[in-house]
Amino acid sequence: MPVRWLRDYVDIAVPLEELARLLTMAGIETEIANDKADAWRHMWVGRITALERVPQSKHLQLATVDYGHGVRQVVTGASNLKEGQVVPYAEVGASYIDGKTGERATLKPTKLLGVRSEGMVMSEKELGLGEDHEGILILNGQHEVGEPLAEALGESVFVCELQPNRADCLGVLGLAREVAAILGADVREPALAHSVSERAADFTVRVEAPDACLRYDAALIRGVTVAPSPEWLQRRLLSVGLRPVNNVVDVTNYVMLETGQPMHAFDRRQLGGGTIRVRRAAVGERLRTLDDVERILDPSVLVIADESRAVGIAGVIGGENTEIGADTRDVVLEVAKFENRGVGRTAMRLNLWTDAARRFSWDLSPELVPFALRRATLLLREVAGGETYAVIDVYPERRVVPNIRMPFTAFRRLLGVELPRDLVTDALRRIGCRYAVDGDLLVVTPPPWRTDINIPEDVVEEAARIVGYDHIPLHIPDGELMLHERHPDVEFRERARDALVGFGLQEVVSHALIDPDWLPHVRPDGTAARPEPLRVTNPTSREQSVVRPTLEPSLLDTARRNLRWASGVALFEIAPVYLPRRADLPDERWTIGILLAGRVHDAPRTWVGGETHTYDFFALKGIVERLADALRIALPELEPGDPALHPGRSALARQDEQVMVRLGQLHPVVAERWALPGETFVAFLDLAFLASRQVPIVAELPSRYPSAYRDVAIVVDDGIGWARVREDARSAAGKTLADLTLLDVYRGPQLPEGKKSFAMRLTFQSREATLADQEIERLVRRVVSRLERALGATLRA
Amino acid sequence: MEDIARAKTVEDIRELRSRLLGKKSELARSLAEVGKLPPEQRRIEGERLNRHKHLLETALDERERAVAARQLDTTLERERIDVTLPGPAARVGRHHPISATIREIVRVFAGMGFETIEGPEVEWDYYNFEALNIPRDHPAREKYATLWVSNPLGDDPQRPMLLRTHTSPMQARVMERRQPPIRVIVPGRCFRYEATDPTHESIFFQFEGLAVDDRLTMADLKGVLYSFARQIFGGDRKIRFRNDYFPFVEPGADVAVDCFLCDGRGCRVCGHSGWIELGGAGMVHPNVLRAVGYDPERWQGFAFGCGVERLSMLRQGVPDLRAFQQNDVRWLAQFPAVM
Repeated sequence: MPVRWLRDYVDIAVPLEELARLLTMAGIETEIANDKADAWRHMWVGRITALERVPQSKHLQLATVDYGHGVRQVVTGASNLKEGQVVPYAEVGASYIDGKTGERATLKPTKLLGVRSEGMVMSEKELGLGEDHEGILILNGQHEVGEPLAEALGESVFVCELQPNRADCLGVLGLAREVAAILGADVREPALAHSVSERAADFTVRVEAPDACLRYDAALIRGVTVAPSPEWLQRRLLSVGLRPVNNVVDVTNYVMLETGQPMHAFDRRQLGGGTIRVRRAAVGERLRTLDDVERILDPSVLVIADESRAVGIAGVIGGENTEIGADTRDVVLEVAKFENRGVGRTAMRLNLWTDAARRFSWDLSPELVPFALRRATLLLREVAGGETYAVIDVYPERRVVPNIRMPFTAFRRLLGVELPRDLVTDALRRIGCRYAVDGDLLVVTPPPWRTDINIPEDVVEEAARIVGYDHIPLHIPDGELMLHERHPDVEFRERARDALVGFGLQEVVSHALIDPDWLPHVRPDGTAARPEPLRVTNPTSREQSVVRPTLEPSLLDTARRNLRWASGVALFEIAPVYLPRRADLPDERWTIGILLAGRVHDAPRTWVGGETHTYDFFALKGIVERLADALRIALPELEPGDPALHPGRSALARQDEQVMVRLGQLHPVVAERWALPGETFVAFLDLAFLASRQVPIVAELPSRYPSAYRDVAIVVDDGIGWARVREDARSAAGKTLADLTLLDVYRGPQLPEGKKSFAMRLTFQSREATLADQEIERLVRRVVSRLERALGATLRA
Repeated sequence: MEDIARAKTVEDIRELRSRLLGKKSELARSLAEVGKLPPEQRRIEGERLNRHKHLLETALDERERAVAARQLDTTLERERIDVTLPGPAARVGRHHPISATIREIVRVFAGMGFETIEGPEVEWDYYNFEALNIPRDHPAREKYATLWVSNPLGDDPQRPMLLRTHTSPMQARVMERRQPPIRVIVPGRCFRYEATDPTHESIFFQFEGLAVDDRLTMADLKGVLYSFARQIFGGDRKIRFRNDYFPFVEPGADVAVDCFLCDGRGCRVCGHSGWIELGGAGMVHPNVLRAVGYDPERWQGFAFGCGVERLSMLRQGVPDLRAFQQNDVRWLAQFPAVM
């Protein structure tokens, strides 16, 4: 938004920085920029300190240019140079417009007739300022040598970020109204054509889709002379980066930029028959649009059509078949209000976000239609000599401008502060509202160009933002004391997090969207995972296209990347996995994932001693068991063997067919596939399952009587697991057994083949009395005989 | 007495004590014989001997203390170690800065009576948009570049599924379930269709606040966020509201805090503006209240939303948003272990 253009409609009496700040505070985030800062990078104000002929050349000259940051020699063919002149100088690397081809080019050092040339002195055309390529642009004495050219010749522009409810600010005039409201200034309205003609046009307009086209105005303008636009118009369009085309098209673009209302001009001769139809496209209907693309349409697209064919896509782009040409005499000018979301859908579907479509996709006021039409017809007469012969206005359902009735107390109710009434009414007047005060009641009629003020809350916001949000005081809420509980699942999860951190694990947070190829890669046989995961239909990349149903690949990937520089990692993540459900949102199951890989301590052995060693299954199991201790949960019985892990070094627990706990060594095939060490161990624990196994806490005082222990070693078949021994021993000993600890597992030459020995410590304690030796011996015998009977164990000598 | 002065060890003194004061000592014998003396002499001799005994005892005690102290000094000297040697390695676990920051945030709001709740990350279009006054094809949807989700068990075209673009859907969900008064804080993961660069991630964390009762105002909103900003960034901070647009609030505001590094003078952290944007906020839009079946004449409230990583980036000087989910342990190890 060039500030100079803005000044056409409003006086800006404050510094631009201040205005930008005020606009930002009032809702339009605004920055000041220089319109040429990018285009004129590496260009400076320079002075010609010497000028000489290039030998063997009739018109080439060698100019010595001082540009404040150095002195360079450039070869130029321009004839208007004199020593001492101040000119634009472009360094090597600058981007300029080639005077002959009109294309953008990057400046390189050259040699002409054996003379080196470093940089250029620039003509208007090379700078993109105009068509003059005859001579170098001579600057007057106001510019200082060494000043960046953009600062010397560029214009200040506002870069505004509009919120999508402020369709009224899509044009310079709308922004000028906003500026005027903020500064308390007046708006200079642009001139409009006086009135519409009474004559009948030689065509009619039929809106066949009134839900999609809320207002359609068409003017028949006769006798235009299509030609290049006058310079002021061309410059205006160039200043915002639009290419001038011809006076008719330029006027439509200019009025769009000025008012925010897009419009389109058809060549009347090319419109067949006497009816303009606004209708839905037929299935498979074709239209070659102005961007020279053949488009195949369908009924979701609204088109403008003559009696036989489509001539434009409503609100998006015109058709080639009715384009304004050099010989166009009569013009049909279309100004309309299309239903904004429909235009947005069409632009999205065609991926064609033209300047018009962008504006139409916001909720422009239908009141803008006749306004912009009158503005455009005036300019068409001025710059193209066209006379407005007839105007048609189809507006079946007039928009009801709301009369918002509200008590003055609404301001205090929402803002928490009493705004003085005159401050409120002044603010409303400034933004163009009409209002009436009836006792404590305020009735507000928003200005016709604002479609976003409809309810009392909107009015409160308008007044507050003009007065300034700084007027709202700080207050700490009072009122009822909230009664609520801390969420038990969240609490449980946070305790699990703390416990794992306490065990020395590093927490990670990884992407919840993963590469679909990762899922088969965590399975030893490489088959696809079941059930299928949720997929992102419009992913940013394949690497983030699946909503992860497991934490496993993310953890493996994190470990792999860290093991490039570390010899060991101990990680955990607590995050949901997403399991699809029929006709419902997925089941988001919070899961604890743990990974241990490589060496226990990421350090060489040190003076403190102790060889470093790699993690093993029991390091992982120890963490899981200690986690259960810390959270006071009863771990479920684990079945050996998870087929997706190392089958002999893994275990799992299920509930209702679903695996709730799995842990073990990574399958060697998977480890190799992920370039992870063989000693990689993972555990996955379903958090809700764990939480359901919390043991009620009864904190008993310890027994007052002493405990006593006996160590026992038994020999059993190698196939018998410790868990069976432990359970049998416990049940045989009864509640007097306070603790049972495995001391050693032995296999070797001292035992027969296929046998192993468990050495265990049985600790006894009673709450009632000191245990007599005979009682302890009796319990030990009971344990041993149970193990002998149940497991075929023998007491080891 | 000279023997006492010459004693070198506690053992020497123990021996001396026994020799000089023990049952078989000269002194003991003399004391035993005092009883045989005539009464007058007995008193004088008794007093003399007891004085002598006391003298010896005092000397022995004193010497024993001195010797013990010297012996302890010797022992301590012998036990001297190089305390500059490092201790053994122990793996220190750490919270990820995202979960640590979330915990800090909810702790601050808990102090103001806000309860922590969570909502689904895969959401219905309805809760992410429609219930928040953002109907289909609303131009505001452009701001929330959405990642859409397909269910392998079948999609319902009438009920599009998406990855929530903000934590705001929980506003509607919690109000559907409860009656005012409500004060909740909702931390969680969000998703946007976004090219990744140092300040943009397609997956990120936000926290949402919602408070509804019959009298909450924008001044209350300002007060709550002011208190939050001071607890997070320090007690000198100021807060700034400026007008902004979010379809689910009216009036709406952009919330900023003056830069904690430069005190608002302008520096690299605040982009030379003196202000650091925290997030969006505003009074809950009547249409949102209506969508959950609340009477907007009776209830009113405020809502706010803010990025989690952003807080951590500002406070811990993280230059690149992508670091959070890359999980380089060397990077993570720079955060404190205890939160």
